[in-house]
Amino acid sequence: MFDSLGLSSLLTLFFISLIASGLSGLLFLHPRVPLSFVRIHIGIVALPPLVSLLALANTNVNEVVGPWYLDTLAWLMAFFVLLIGLIIQRFSVRYLMGDRSYRKYFTLFTFTTGFASIAWLSGDLRLMVICWGATLIGLIFLIRINNGWKVASEAAKVSSRLFTLSWVALLVAIIWLFQVTGQWQLSLALTNESLAQLGAWDRTGINLLIVLAVIIPAAQWPFQRWLTESVVAPTPVSAIMHAGLVNAGGIMLTRFSPLFNGDIASIILLILASISVLIGSGISIVQVDYKRQLVGSTIGQMGFMLIQCALGAYIAAIIHLVLHGLFKATLFLQAGSAVRRSEVSYRVSKRPSYLWIIAGRTLGLLVGIAFWFTAPGEGYQLISALILGWSLSISWTHLVAYGEGRIGRIAGFSFLGGCAIVYFIIHNLFYEWLNTTVYQSVQPPMSVVIIVVCLLVFGNTVGTWIARNRSSVSFAVLYLWLVRLGEAKTKSVESHPNYLKQFLSQGGNQ
Amino acid sequence: MSVTSVLTKRKLKKKDTNKDVQQRDMNDLVESASRVIAPLWPISTFAARNPWMGLEKQSFEQVASWLKNTRDVDIYPSASMILSAKNKGEIDEAFVNIELQRWLDSHSLHIPRDVAERFCRAALKLDTLPSNLLSSHELKKLEEEISGLHTDRVENFSMQPISSYIENQEGEGFVHILDHHVIKWCKLYLDESQAGWTMPNREKGFYHAWHRLIQHDPALRKNQRQCLKNWPQEAHMALKQALISMEIPESEIQTYLEGHLLSLPGWSGMMLWRSQQSSHEHALLTEYLAVRISMEYALIKPYLPLNNKRLEKKVSITSLLASWIHWGDLSIEEFSQMSPAKQNEYLTFAYQFDERVRRKIWLEAWEQTNTDRLSEKITSKHRATNNKKSALAQLAFCIDVRSEPFRRQLEKEGPLETIGIAGFFGLPIATSELGSNHSHPSLPVILKPNHKIKESADENELKSYQQRKQAVDSLGRTFNTMKQNVLASLLLPEISGPWLSLRMVTRSFVPRKADRFIRNLRENWLRKPDTKLSLNYVHDQEAEIPVGFSEEEKVNYARQALKMMGLTENFAPLVVICGHGSQSINNPYAASLDCGACGGAAGGFNARVLAALCNLPKVREVLATEGIEIPADTVFAAAQHQTTVDELHWLYVPELSEAAKEAFDRIEAIMPKVSHNANAERLAQLPNFQSKLKNPKAEAHRFAEDWSEIRPEWGLARNASFIIGQRELTQNCDLEGRAFLHNYDWKQDESGELLANIIAGPGTVTQWINLQYYASTVAPHYYGSGNKVTQTVTAGLGVMQGNASDLLAGLPWQSVMQSDHEAYHSPLRLLIVIQAPRKYVERLLNNDSAFREKVQNGWVRLASVNQEGRWENW
Repeated sequence: MFDSLGLSSLLTLFFISLIASGLSGLLFLHPRVPLSFVRIHIGIVALPPLVSLLALANTNVNEVVGPWYLDTLAWLMAFFVLLIGLIIQRFSVRYLMGDRSYRKYFTLFTFTTGFASIAWLSGDLRLMVICWGATLIGLIFLIRINNGWKVASEAAKVSSRLFTLSWVALLVAIIWLFQVTGQWQLSLALTNESLAQLGAWDRTGINLLIVLAVIIPAAQWPFQRWLTESVVAPTPVSAIMHAGLVNAGGIMLTRFSPLFNGDIASIILLILASISVLIGSGISIVQVDYKRQLVGSTIGQMGFMLIQCALGAYIAAIIHLVLHGLFKATLFLQAGSAVRRSEVSYRVSKRPSYLWIIAGRTLGLLVGIAFWFTAPGEGYQLISALILGWSLSISWTHLVAYGEGRIGRIAGFSFLGGCAIVYFIIHNLFYEWLNTTVYQSVQPPMSVVIIVVCLLVFGNTVGTWIARNRSSVSFAVLYLWLVRLGEAKTKSVESHPNYLKQFLSQGGNQ
Repeated sequence: MSVTSVLTKRKLKKKDTNKDVQQRDMNDLVESASRVIAPLWPISTFAARNPWMGLEKQSFEQVASWLKNTRDVDIYPSASMILSAKNKGEIDEAFVNIELQRWLDSHSLHIPRDVAERFCRAALKLDTLPSNLLSSHELKKLEEEISGLHTDRVENFSMQPISSYIENQEGEGFVHILDHHVIKWCKLYLDESQAGWTMPNREKGFYHAWHRLIQHDPALRKNQRQCLKNWPQEAHMALKQALISMEIPESEIQTYLEGHLLSLPGWSGMMLWRSQQSSHEHALLTEYLAVRISMEYALIKPYLPLNNKRLEKKVSITSLLASWIHWGDLSIEEFSQMSPAKQNEYLTFAYQFDERVRRKIWLEAWEQTNTDRLSEKITSKHRATNNKKSALAQLAFCIDVRSEPFRRQLEKEGPLETIGIAGFFGLPIATSELGSNHSHPSLPVILKPNHKIKESADENELKSYQQRKQAVDSLGRTFNTMKQNVLASLLLPEISGPWLSLRMVTRSFVPRKADRFIRNLRENWLRKPDTKLSLNYVHDQEAEIPVGFSEEEKVNYARQALKMMGLTENFAPLVVICGHGSQSINNPYAASLDCGACGGAAGGFNARVLAALCNLPKVREVLATEGIEIPADTVFAAAQHQTTVDELHWLYVPELSEAAKEAFDRIEAIMPKVSHNANAERLAQLPNFQSKLKNPKAEAHRFAEDWSEIRPEWGLARNASFIIGQRELTQNCDLEGRAFLHNYDWKQDESGELLANIIAGPGTVTQWINLQYYASTVAPHYYGSGNKVTQTVTAGLGVMQGNASDLLAGLPWQSVMQSDHEAYHSPLRLLIVIQAPRKYVERLLNNDSAFREKVQNGWVRLASVNQEGRWENW
């Protein structure tokens, strides 16, 4: 029934709903508007993701409408970021009840996610950069929303410095691109003819700038500090940060994919991202604070997403960033559940028979090889196969081999099967959606792929080996370095939240 | 069971004396210093703790000024809190006046009384001195003319950590740097299986592990690492060496250690708790201080020796002068014309009547008002109604303040009698749920369990239940293993993402249905079999404590519980023992809403045990010989009061006699109405958008099942009194859910033993709960645990604020505050009301010196109601 709605009318509808939610956000700031208005606000904020979902379902061709570049990817990203925004605002209705900045939160959430969605819909590079800048500003405001707390403003300071660097790099990159190609339109600037005008230096320079612009929001080493310091942000802000904003790099690289063809910028990206995968995983393994573990994990996951981009597997990167966003948002929002009652942690004492474990290993190996052979020419396929096979063997061990009795094994097997089926269905769905829109770039040289594989396997092995030799000096050094990388600086730490004293002396009479 | 005897065992048993004297000295010093902190237990068994439990030998006022001087922590309510209470009519200003007169009387005045009184009255308005006055030029000039203040009062400043006087080049205080280091080491060491890689050498103890690692710590400079590399191998030696190197005089070592313990009271409290748990960590607090002070030395070594270790705290004359001008109606000229001696008298007076005194007067007036209103409520309703109607059923609830509104609603609906008793029902047991190896000490944290009670089921059923449970648990375990594996963690979001997002979306938009669906799915899959309790004594040499009770113990516990309830005659056909528990999700403080008397867990298990004991024919036989005759058709059942939704869930209903069945059906019939009314009354207090609720029950369930709910219920906020007496005393009174109620009939307690037990056990628990709420309200940053929104759970043990902080010990900001602008909890010290003749109370105070101390030093307040219904404040 929506076929009658043309894409342009959907676009109009989308912007009307977006403007409505923005206005409702502003209206809510007014102290005369009752707090219960927040429910109506949630209703209004739910409209833009709905419209973008409709548009996503109705988009088959890539279309340029004015400054907008509307393809499946654009609508998917808009839908994704608005959905995250909606969920987090709904969560905040009760979670932030009584907060002195209650109203401000909703306005900022609406604007931050709204601008992000516009950025991903825009085909005009200027618009995209401006909107992305607005998103970053919104995020900084969210981090420092409790500016009476000195550690929060310290974290905002660190973040704003790095974000500025990232944003300026992006700005210079698009100006440079315009200087050479004479186009502000993304689709026109990245045609083969336009790209042909780029000299080797131009291309490398622009690529390096883009890489710089994307690794900062993705908190890649050595720019991870803003993310490790902003653990201080309220839970919903962390959720939106880790789910909707750190992964911007993946979208940008996908958009700029025709520029990258395995040159030095890709190699640098690959190296930094691989290091970040190892550091990030390391942080999440050694840290004991729930939110800090999540920070480590985000650094690692974003590293992986950037590896996928650098290897030209853009669809895989998009799938990863969307699912990771939802995954991380959930984990942050349920941060209160991290206290476990002791009974849950009781462990199985008996070891399963070797037969079951070996079966799992073999199965993992077979599935991995089979997966690789479906497309042996693609570099990323090898990495994907490795990870898939390895994960299968691990989960087999824990779900099936450790399963107690028939019930346990059957249940474990069904879990495994269910997850695998859903995994493949979702992947197929995404590939079907996105294959028309994403530019399939040149494959990187196999040697690079092998290096990445070696790095990952090395990290994995070191992890296992060193954990068995825990008394060695090398383990101690590695352990302490990982702890240090994950910790915030002393300036962003306060032994007691002293700002509450201020609250107490001010409150009460209002 | 004598509660007091166990109480005294809380202190660390001293180890054998073979060790050298030095070590003992150090450990003794640490032990004496540990009075300033309180043990802190893990948040999963959050139970109330009194942060000042080691300081009750001093008066509340002394502790308050000591904390203000040493840590800048204020434990009197803030001015704005007081004023807002005054505006709400919670403070009667007549009492402020009385308190003021008392203060003036108790101080020898050197200035005219009327001048003093006028000054005090104006100052008691609690407005702040205008800043333009404070910075005015005339005032500065006057200040220069006055030589200084000579007070007789000698402020006793205790020694602060040396690092708090030094800053590095970037202006960061070394004590902050030290705190950050210590937080890191504590959390890494104390971690309980949150991290994939645990701290190397952790099993060798805190100091050893630290000593091994610190030589490689990249967070330190090379010379600092070098310094600590050659540090002693033993904790007490290290501590000694650090103290000597920093030239801390022998006589000040204890205060120096106290200063360090108070820097991070949460982490040191956790160390203290751990040191009491097992023998191999018994010196953990010494190790903690050794690590902390050694690091302090390494950090500040280049700055030593320090010339002025003590900052002379000068009394600011400016504000004293300004206060006379602002409140005392004196002009600057008038003041400057006074003789120097007179000026000094005036300034001294203003100094004595400082802000702390003013707020103390207000707090006491607030408490007086509260006492006054309670006494009015109770004595006006007090009628000696001795015509006990025969009740259809008797329901025993926990003393918890949340029981009171529920009991009131129950009594309103039918001929039911309700009873108050501590929610562990006097059973010193550790509980172990079906198929679990873990046991939970289900009794107040001040006691140790004597018996272990397990749930058991049919062998085959148990086996398949365990397999099903194992299958569910394996999901979580696989998730964690994959998370901690470099390769598998990369795939994890893609595999679990769809499931997690499904859960996120449903929990966000249909919270009640989603939560219920998940819970039902889990329950239907697990199908927990019917269980029996292992009440009979089983000899087990491996277990630390025996499983089950001997026949004699069964009778003893049943008799004791019945006596505590005052239920030794007039048994109704149905007696329901009600534990209580709360229901909330995504709430790290879930345990703080459960039963404090059951060690921060739901109390249903204990209720089941007691009900089962009272149903045993053998127990009844023996009791009958002692005069407690339980009629044959009286049945004991167990239930659990769900405080978040105000419902009664049956846990154990044996075969009912005809009369009991009738009572049971009656309770079932009235329950919806009771629940409706109780919820409506309770929800009106919780912040919400609409004030009138159409369906309170549904809304209460939403509070319990919404993962984004920040205040699932108010818990024990606003608690203010503990009434020990007959239910008739308080029946028909709306106590607003602010009173703990314990049944007590002095006529049946000639020896005073029951009363002594109530005061020593439940009395202590309620006092701790009360002071925990008090402390979390007046000093939320130090004794509370800050805003829930910016907390992170650490090491599976507790929470920190922001990037890292002290392990926060108290209740979160949202549990005591209605909003950032308005307090919900009223910080009042507990008022214990005993319904008994005067001589009972006197005897109690004479026999129980600890309790006497608490009353005298202002940690609790005491009142009594005598046999004629006359109220008396002690």
